[in-house]
Amino acid sequence: MALTGNRLTFWFGCNMLRHAELIRLSMQLLERAGFDVEAAGGPGYCCGTPHDHAPVAASAMASRTVERFNAASQMEGRGTVVTWCPSCHMHMSDIMSPGNATQFDIAHITEVLADAGDKLAPLLVHPVKRRVLLHRHIGFATHVPVNDRVASILARIPELSLVDGPAVPGHMCSSLGGVPGALKGAVAETWQAAAASGCDTLATIFHSCHREVAALDGRDGITVRNWVHLVAESMGLDAGDAYRGWRQGEAPDAAAIARADPRLYAKLVEPELKKPLPI
Amino acid sequence: MKSLQQPSAESSQAYLAEAGSRLADLCTACGACFDACPMARLVPALAGVSPTSVTEGLRSLARGETGPVETVAWVGACARSGVCVSACPERDKGLDAMLLVRIAKQRAINDTGQLPAKHDAHAFPRVKTFARLQLTDEELDRWL
Repeated sequence: MALTGNRLTFWFGCNMLRHAELIRLSMQLLERAGFDVEAAGGPGYCCGTPHDHAPVAASAMASRTVERFNAASQMEGRGTVVTWCPSCHMHMSDIMSPGNATQFDIAHITEVLADAGDKLAPLLVHPVKRRVLLHRHIGFATHVPVNDRVASILARIPELSLVDGPAVPGHMCSSLGGVPGALKGAVAETWQAAAASGCDTLATIFHSCHREVAALDGRDGITVRNWVHLVAESMGLDAGDAYRGWRQGEAPDAAAIARADPRLYAKLVEPELKKPLPI
Repeated sequence: MKSLQQPSAESSQAYLAEAGSRLADLCTACGACFDACPMARLVPALAGVSPTSVTEGLRSLARGETGPVETVAWVGACARSGVCVSACPERDKGLDAMLLVRIAKQRAINDTGQLPAKHDAHAFPRVKTFARLQLTDEELDRWL
Protein backbone atom coordinates (compact mmCIF):
# COMPACT_ATOMS: atom_id res chain seq x y z
CA MET A 1 0.00 0.00 0.00
CA ALA A 2 1.42 3.38 -0.98
CA LEU A 3 1.82 6.13 1.59
CA THR A 4 -0.71 8.95 1.61
CA GLY A 5 1.19 12.06 0.58
CA ASN A 6 4.85 12.68 1.20
CA ARG A 7 4.71 14.28 4.63
CA LEU A 8 5.38 11.97 7.52
CA THR A 9 6.35 11.76 11.15
CA PHE A 10 9.36 9.60 11.95
CA TRP A 11 8.57 8.12 15.38
CA PHE A 12 11.91 6.88 16.60
CA GLY A 13 10.87 5.85 20.12
CA CYS A 14 12.60 6.41 23.45
CA ASN A 15 15.75 4.34 23.49
CA MET A 16 16.96 5.52 20.10
CA LEU A 17 18.03 8.68 21.90
CA ARG A 18 21.25 6.77 22.61
CA HIS A 19 21.92 6.76 18.88
CA ALA A 20 21.53 10.29 17.55
CA GLU A 21 23.33 9.45 14.32
CA LEU A 22 20.80 6.73 13.56
CA ILE A 23 17.94 9.17 13.98
CA ARG A 24 19.59 11.74 11.73
CA LEU A 25 20.64 9.19 9.11
CA SER A 26 17.17 7.63 9.06
CA MET A 27 15.69 11.06 8.41
CA GLN A 28 18.20 11.67 5.64
CA LEU A 29 17.34 8.36 3.99
CA LEU A 30 13.63 9.11 4.17
CA GLU A 31 14.24 12.58 2.75
CA ARG A 32 16.28 11.14 -0.10
CA ALA A 33 13.41 8.78 -0.78
CA GLY A 34 11.30 11.88 -1.36
CA PHE A 35 9.58 12.45 1.97
CA ASP A 36 9.16 15.55 4.07
CA VAL A 37 10.13 14.30 7.53
CA GLU A 38 9.62 15.54 11.07
CA ALA A 39 11.05 13.44 13.87
CA ALA A 40 9.31 12.67 17.16
CA GLY A 41 10.37 10.55 20.09
CA GLY A 42 11.53 10.39 23.66
CA PRO A 43 9.39 10.08 26.78
CA GLY A 44 6.93 12.72 25.53
CA TYR A 45 5.97 10.33 22.75
CA CYS A 46 6.02 7.15 24.82
CA CYS A 47 3.78 4.35 23.58
CA GLY A 48 3.28 2.99 27.08
CA THR A 49 4.99 -0.35 26.57
CA PRO A 50 7.58 0.16 29.34
CA HIS A 51 4.79 0.78 31.84
CA ASP A 52 2.89 -2.48 31.89
CA HIS A 53 3.09 -2.32 35.67
CA ALA A 54 1.18 0.97 35.69
CA PRO A 55 -1.81 0.54 33.36
CA VAL A 56 -3.43 3.89 34.11
CA ALA A 57 -0.25 5.82 33.37
CA ALA A 58 0.52 3.68 30.33
CA SER A 59 -2.94 4.31 28.94
CA ALA A 60 -2.59 8.05 29.50
CA MET A 61 0.77 8.05 27.72
CA ALA A 62 -0.74 6.16 24.79
CA SER A 63 -3.57 8.69 24.52
CA ARG A 64 -1.20 11.65 24.67
CA THR A 65 1.01 10.22 21.96
CA VAL A 66 -1.93 9.45 19.67
CA GLU A 67 -3.23 13.00 20.22
CA ARG A 68 0.13 14.46 19.22
CA PHE A 69 0.24 12.39 16.04
CA ASN A 70 -3.37 13.28 15.28
CA ALA A 71 -2.44 16.94 15.61
CA ALA A 72 0.51 16.49 13.24
CA SER A 73 -1.83 14.83 10.77
CA GLN A 74 -4.50 17.52 11.01
CA MET A 75 -2.29 20.60 11.21
CA GLU A 76 0.75 19.59 9.16
CA GLY A 77 -0.66 16.96 6.83
CA ARG A 78 1.57 14.24 8.28
CA GLY A 79 -0.86 11.40 7.78
CA THR A 80 1.67 8.62 8.15
CA VAL A 81 3.69 7.76 11.22
CA VAL A 82 6.83 5.89 10.24
CA THR A 83 8.10 3.77 13.09
CA TRP A 84 11.55 2.54 14.01
CA CYS A 85 11.01 0.63 17.24
CA PRO A 86 9.19 -2.70 16.92
CA SER A 87 7.77 -2.37 20.44
CA CYS A 88 6.25 1.00 19.59
CA HIS A 89 4.94 -0.31 16.28
CA MET A 90 3.26 -3.35 17.83
CA HIS A 91 1.90 -1.33 20.72
CA MET A 92 0.36 1.23 18.38
CA SER A 93 -1.12 -1.48 16.20
CA ASP A 94 -2.39 -3.81 18.92
CA ILE A 95 -3.15 -1.69 21.98
CA MET A 96 -3.03 2.06 21.34
CA SER A 97 -5.28 2.27 18.29
CA PRO A 98 -8.08 0.03 19.66
CA GLY A 99 -8.37 2.44 22.56
CA ASN A 100 -7.81 5.75 20.78
CA ALA A 101 -9.17 7.25 17.56
CA THR A 102 -6.22 7.65 15.19
CA GLN A 103 -6.08 9.97 12.23
CA PHE A 104 -2.95 8.49 10.71
CA ASP A 105 -1.61 5.24 9.31
CA ILE A 106 1.62 3.57 10.29
CA ALA A 107 4.45 1.98 8.39
CA HIS A 108 7.84 0.74 9.45
CA ILE A 109 10.89 2.54 8.08
CA THR A 110 12.17 -0.66 6.48
CA GLU A 111 8.92 -1.02 4.54
CA VAL A 112 9.04 2.58 3.36
CA LEU A 113 12.65 2.46 2.25
CA ALA A 114 12.34 -0.99 0.67
CA ASP A 115 9.34 0.24 -1.30
CA ALA A 116 11.39 3.25 -2.36
CA GLY A 117 14.24 1.03 -3.50
CA ASP A 118 14.17 2.16 -7.12
CA LYS A 119 14.47 5.77 -6.01
CA LEU A 120 17.26 5.04 -3.56
CA ALA A 121 19.27 2.68 -5.75
CA PRO A 122 20.84 5.41 -7.94
CA LEU A 123 22.05 7.10 -4.75
CA LEU A 124 23.95 4.01 -3.60
CA VAL A 125 27.05 4.98 -5.50
CA HIS A 126 29.85 3.96 -3.15
CA PRO A 127 30.73 0.26 -3.06
CA VAL A 128 30.66 -1.20 0.43
CA LYS A 129 33.04 -4.13 0.24
CA ARG A 130 31.81 -6.02 3.25
CA ARG A 131 30.71 -9.56 3.95
CA VAL A 132 27.75 -8.98 6.21
CA LEU A 133 25.71 -11.19 8.49
CA LEU A 134 22.39 -9.67 9.44
CA HIS A 135 21.46 -10.07 13.09
CA ARG A 136 17.87 -11.26 12.91
CA HIS A 137 15.14 -11.99 15.43
CA ILE A 138 12.06 -14.04 14.62
CA GLY A 139 9.66 -11.62 16.30
CA PHE A 140 7.95 -8.61 14.70
CA ALA A 141 7.31 -10.70 11.57
CA THR A 142 3.71 -10.81 12.81
CA HIS A 143 3.51 -7.14 11.88
CA VAL A 144 6.34 -6.35 9.46
CA PRO A 145 8.63 -8.75 7.55
CA VAL A 146 11.54 -6.68 8.75
CA ASN A 147 14.32 -9.19 8.10
CA ASP A 148 13.33 -9.49 4.45
CA ARG A 149 12.91 -5.76 4.07
CA VAL A 150 16.34 -4.94 5.45
CA ALA A 151 17.91 -7.67 3.33
CA SER A 152 16.26 -6.26 0.21
CA ILE A 153 17.61 -2.79 0.99
CA LEU A 154 21.13 -4.02 1.69
CA ALA A 155 21.08 -6.17 -1.46
CA ARG A 156 21.05 -2.97 -3.50
CA ILE A 157 24.39 -1.78 -2.11
CA PRO A 158 27.22 -2.34 -4.60
CA GLU A 159 29.70 -5.05 -3.63
CA LEU A 160 28.05 -5.78 -0.30
CA SER A 161 27.71 -9.51 0.26
CA LEU A 162 24.92 -10.63 2.57
CA VAL A 163 25.31 -13.97 4.35
CA ASP A 164 22.49 -16.07 5.79
CA GLY A 165 22.53 -16.47 9.54
CA PRO A 166 20.35 -17.57 12.41
CA ALA A 167 17.13 -15.91 13.50
CA VAL A 168 17.04 -15.81 17.28
CA PRO A 169 13.99 -15.59 19.59
CA GLY A 170 12.31 -12.39 20.62
CA HIS A 171 11.62 -9.24 18.64
CA MET A 172 14.87 -7.55 19.64
CA CYS A 173 17.64 -8.23 22.13
CA SER A 174 16.14 -6.27 25.01
CA SER A 175 13.11 -8.57 25.01
CA LEU A 176 15.30 -11.48 26.08
CA GLY A 177 16.39 -9.89 29.33
CA GLY A 178 13.75 -11.64 31.42
CA VAL A 179 15.15 -15.13 30.89
CA PRO A 180 18.60 -15.84 32.32
CA GLY A 181 21.05 -16.77 29.58
CA ALA A 182 18.70 -15.99 26.69
CA LEU A 183 20.38 -12.77 25.62
CA LYS A 184 23.84 -14.24 25.94
CA GLY A 185 22.75 -17.26 23.90
CA ALA A 186 21.25 -15.15 21.15
CA VAL A 187 24.30 -12.90 20.85
CA ALA A 188 26.67 -15.87 20.94
CA GLU A 189 24.76 -17.77 18.27
CA THR A 190 24.75 -14.75 15.98
CA TRP A 191 28.38 -13.83 16.58
CA GLN A 192 29.61 -17.39 16.08
CA ALA A 193 27.66 -17.64 12.83
CA ALA A 194 29.26 -14.42 11.60
CA ALA A 195 32.73 -15.67 12.48
CA ALA A 196 32.13 -19.13 10.99
CA SER A 197 30.89 -17.57 7.75
CA GLY A 198 33.97 -15.42 7.38
CA CYS A 199 32.01 -12.21 7.78
CA ASP A 200 33.79 -8.95 8.48
CA THR A 201 30.60 -7.13 9.51
CA LEU A 202 27.66 -7.88 11.76
CA ALA A 203 24.71 -5.67 10.88
CA THR A 204 22.08 -4.96 13.48
CA ILE A 205 18.50 -4.05 12.63
CA PHE A 206 17.30 -2.54 15.89
CA HIS A 207 18.78 -0.15 18.42
CA SER A 208 18.51 -2.52 21.37
CA CYS A 209 20.55 -5.16 19.55
CA HIS A 210 23.08 -2.57 18.47
CA ARG A 211 23.39 -1.50 22.08
CA GLU A 212 24.26 -5.05 23.10
CA VAL A 213 26.72 -6.03 20.39
CA ALA A 214 28.45 -2.69 19.78
CA ALA A 215 30.86 -3.47 22.58
CA LEU A 216 32.08 -6.53 20.67
CA ASP A 217 33.19 -4.44 17.70
CA GLY A 218 36.59 -5.62 16.48
CA ARG A 219 36.50 -9.06 18.03
CA ASP A 220 37.35 -11.83 15.53
CA GLY A 221 37.92 -9.15 12.90
CA ILE A 222 34.21 -8.33 12.84
CA THR A 223 32.92 -4.78 12.96
CA VAL A 224 29.42 -3.89 14.15
CA ARG A 225 27.23 -1.61 12.06
CA ASN A 226 23.55 -0.92 11.89
CA TRP A 227 21.85 -1.44 8.54
CA VAL A 228 21.27 2.31 8.32
CA HIS A 229 25.02 2.91 8.65
CA LEU A 230 25.65 0.64 5.67
CA VAL A 231 23.09 2.38 3.46
CA ALA A 232 24.46 5.76 4.49
CA GLU A 233 28.00 4.62 3.79
CA SER A 234 27.01 3.67 0.27
CA MET A 235 25.42 7.09 -0.20
CA GLY A 236 28.57 8.81 0.98
CA LEU A 237 26.95 10.14 4.13
CA ASP A 238 28.87 10.46 7.36
CA ALA A 239 27.97 7.23 9.16
CA GLY A 240 29.46 7.77 12.58
CA ASP A 241 28.58 5.72 15.64
CA ALA A 242 29.33 7.50 18.89
CA TYR A 243 27.64 4.87 21.07
CA ARG A 244 29.88 2.13 19.68
CA GLY A 245 32.91 4.25 20.46
CA TRP A 246 31.72 4.86 23.99
CA ARG A 247 31.21 1.15 24.55
CA GLN A 248 34.74 0.67 23.30
CA GLY A 249 36.11 2.93 26.00
CA GLU A 250 35.95 6.36 24.42
CA ALA A 251 34.13 9.09 26.30
CA PRO A 252 31.91 11.91 25.12
CA ASP A 253 33.74 15.22 25.03
CA ALA A 254 33.78 17.25 28.21
CA ALA A 255 31.49 19.94 26.85
CA ALA A 256 28.83 17.37 26.00
CA ILE A 257 29.03 15.85 29.47
CA ALA A 258 28.78 19.31 31.01
CA ARG A 259 25.71 20.03 28.92
CA ALA A 260 24.09 16.73 29.91
CA ASP A 261 24.93 17.28 33.60
CA PRO A 262 28.05 15.48 34.89
CA ARG A 263 26.15 14.11 37.89
CA LEU A 264 23.50 12.49 35.72
CA TYR A 265 26.13 11.28 33.28
CA ALA A 266 28.04 9.54 36.07
CA LYS A 267 24.92 8.05 37.62
CA LEU A 268 22.88 7.04 34.60
CA VAL A 269 25.06 6.80 31.51
CA GLU A 270 28.54 5.72 32.56
CA PRO A 271 27.44 2.45 34.21
CA GLU A 272 25.71 1.40 31.00
CA LEU A 273 28.74 2.21 28.88
CA LYS A 274 30.99 0.20 31.18
CA LYS A 275 28.77 -2.81 31.69
CA PRO A 276 30.27 -6.25 31.00
CA LEU A 277 30.39 -7.60 27.47
CA PRO A 278 27.42 -9.77 26.52
CA ILE A 279 29.65 -12.70 25.58
CA MET B 1 1.69 0.88 5.37
CA LYS B 2 -1.05 -0.27 7.66
CA SER B 3 -4.35 1.34 8.43
CA LEU B 4 -4.88 1.16 12.15
CA GLN B 5 -7.85 -0.40 13.90
CA GLN B 6 -10.89 1.67 14.63
CA PRO B 7 -11.23 2.20 18.38
CA SER B 8 -13.46 -0.24 20.20
CA ALA B 9 -12.88 1.17 23.69
CA GLU B 10 -12.45 4.54 25.37
CA SER B 11 -8.80 4.00 26.20
CA SER B 12 -6.00 1.46 25.90
CA GLN B 13 -6.61 0.42 29.47
CA ALA B 14 -10.31 -0.16 28.79
CA TYR B 15 -9.46 -2.10 25.66
CA LEU B 16 -7.07 -4.39 27.51
CA ALA B 17 -9.65 -4.96 30.23
CA GLU B 18 -12.20 -6.04 27.63
CA ALA B 19 -9.80 -7.98 25.40
CA GLY B 20 -8.48 -10.24 28.15
CA SER B 21 -11.76 -12.03 28.76
CA ARG B 22 -12.76 -11.98 25.09
CA LEU B 23 -9.52 -13.59 23.92
CA ALA B 24 -9.61 -16.05 26.81
CA ASP B 25 -13.07 -17.14 25.66
CA LEU B 26 -11.74 -17.80 22.16
CA CYS B 27 -8.84 -19.88 23.50
CA THR B 28 -9.41 -23.65 23.68
CA ALA B 29 -6.29 -24.29 25.78
CA CYS B 30 -4.96 -26.70 23.16
CA GLY B 31 -1.36 -25.86 24.00
CA ALA B 32 -0.24 -25.16 20.42
CA CYS B 33 1.08 -21.71 21.32
CA PHE B 34 3.17 -23.10 24.17
CA ASP B 35 4.51 -25.90 22.00
CA ALA B 36 5.63 -23.39 19.37
CA CYS B 37 7.20 -20.92 21.79
CA PRO B 38 11.01 -20.70 21.50
CA MET B 39 11.29 -19.06 24.91
CA ALA B 40 9.56 -21.94 26.70
CA ARG B 41 12.55 -24.12 25.82
CA LEU B 42 14.89 -21.72 27.60
CA VAL B 43 13.10 -21.83 30.96
CA PRO B 44 14.15 -24.88 33.01
CA ALA B 45 11.00 -24.74 35.12
CA LEU B 46 8.92 -25.37 32.01
CA ALA B 47 10.62 -28.62 31.03
CA GLY B 48 8.08 -31.44 30.86
CA VAL B 49 5.04 -29.38 31.81
CA SER B 50 1.70 -30.03 30.14
CA PRO B 51 1.02 -27.50 27.35
CA THR B 52 -2.70 -27.79 27.88
CA SER B 53 -2.35 -27.09 31.61
CA VAL B 54 -0.18 -24.07 30.90
CA THR B 55 -2.67 -22.68 28.41
CA GLU B 56 -5.62 -23.44 30.64
CA GLY B 57 -3.83 -21.25 33.15
CA LEU B 58 -3.33 -18.65 30.44
CA ARG B 59 -7.08 -18.30 30.12
CA SER B 60 -7.41 -17.83 33.87
CA LEU B 61 -4.68 -15.22 34.08
CA ALA B 62 -6.07 -13.25 31.14
CA ARG B 63 -9.36 -13.02 33.03
CA GLY B 64 -7.54 -11.71 36.06
CA GLU B 65 -7.69 -14.95 38.02
CA THR B 66 -4.71 -16.57 39.69
CA GLY B 67 -2.81 -18.89 37.36
CA PRO B 68 -0.55 -21.87 37.97
CA VAL B 69 3.15 -21.19 38.50
CA GLU B 70 4.06 -22.75 35.15
CA THR B 71 1.79 -20.35 33.30
CA VAL B 72 3.20 -17.42 35.23
CA ALA B 73 6.75 -18.53 34.36
CA TRP B 74 5.80 -18.83 30.72
CA VAL B 75 4.08 -15.47 30.30
CA GLY B 76 6.92 -13.88 32.26
CA ALA B 77 9.38 -15.21 29.69
CA CYS B 78 7.49 -13.86 26.67
CA ALA B 79 9.85 -12.01 24.33
CA ARG B 80 7.23 -11.41 21.63
CA SER B 81 8.73 -13.87 19.20
CA GLY B 82 5.24 -14.10 17.73
CA VAL B 83 5.41 -17.74 16.69
CA CYS B 84 2.34 -18.44 18.79
CA VAL B 85 0.21 -16.25 16.55
CA SER B 86 0.44 -18.48 13.51
CA ALA B 87 0.50 -21.66 15.62
CA CYS B 88 -2.88 -20.88 17.15
CA PRO B 89 -5.71 -22.85 15.48
CA GLU B 90 -8.20 -20.22 16.62
CA ARG B 91 -6.41 -17.38 14.86
CA ASP B 92 -9.02 -17.15 12.12
CA LYS B 93 -11.66 -16.61 14.77
CA GLY B 94 -9.81 -13.54 16.01
CA LEU B 95 -7.53 -14.97 18.66
CA ASP B 96 -4.21 -13.13 18.75
CA ALA B 97 -2.22 -15.50 20.95
CA MET B 98 0.65 -13.06 21.51
CA LEU B 99 -1.75 -10.39 22.73
CA LEU B 100 -3.44 -12.93 25.00
CA VAL B 101 -0.08 -13.83 26.54
CA ARG B 102 0.78 -10.18 26.94
CA ILE B 103 -2.48 -9.42 28.71
CA ALA B 104 -2.00 -12.46 30.95
CA LYS B 105 1.45 -11.15 31.85
CA GLN B 106 0.01 -7.75 32.75
CA ARG B 107 -2.65 -9.41 34.89
CA ALA B 108 0.01 -11.46 36.66
CA ILE B 109 1.82 -8.22 37.50
CA ASN B 110 -1.07 -5.94 38.32
CA ASP B 111 -4.02 -8.10 39.33
CA THR B 112 -2.85 -11.39 40.80
CA GLY B 113 0.53 -10.16 42.00
CA GLN B 114 2.24 -13.31 40.76
CA LEU B 115 4.93 -11.52 38.76
CA PRO B 116 7.08 -8.68 40.05
CA ALA B 117 6.92 -5.39 38.19
CA LYS B 118 10.15 -4.80 36.33
CA HIS B 119 10.32 -1.07 36.20
CA ASP B 120 13.48 0.93 35.72
CA ALA B 121 12.75 4.30 37.32
CA HIS B 122 15.87 5.68 35.66
CA ALA B 123 14.92 4.70 32.13
CA PHE B 124 13.49 8.04 31.07
CA PRO B 125 16.08 10.19 32.88
CA ARG B 126 18.76 8.02 31.27
CA VAL B 127 17.55 8.49 27.70
CA LYS B 128 17.07 12.20 28.33
CA THR B 129 20.68 12.40 29.47
CA PHE B 130 21.80 10.55 26.34
CA ALA B 131 19.75 13.04 24.33
CA ARG B 132 21.44 16.04 25.93
CA LEU B 133 24.82 14.47 25.23
CA GLN B 134 24.19 14.38 21.51
CA LEU B 135 21.29 16.44 20.24
CA THR B 136 21.44 20.09 19.33
CA ASP B 137 19.14 22.55 21.07
CA GLU B 138 17.00 22.67 17.96
CA GLU B 139 16.73 18.87 17.82
CA LEU B 140 15.84 18.70 21.49
CA ASP B 141 13.17 21.32 20.98
CA ARG B 142 11.67 19.86 17.82
CA TRP B 143 11.90 16.13 18.34
CA LEU B 144 11.09 15.56 22.00
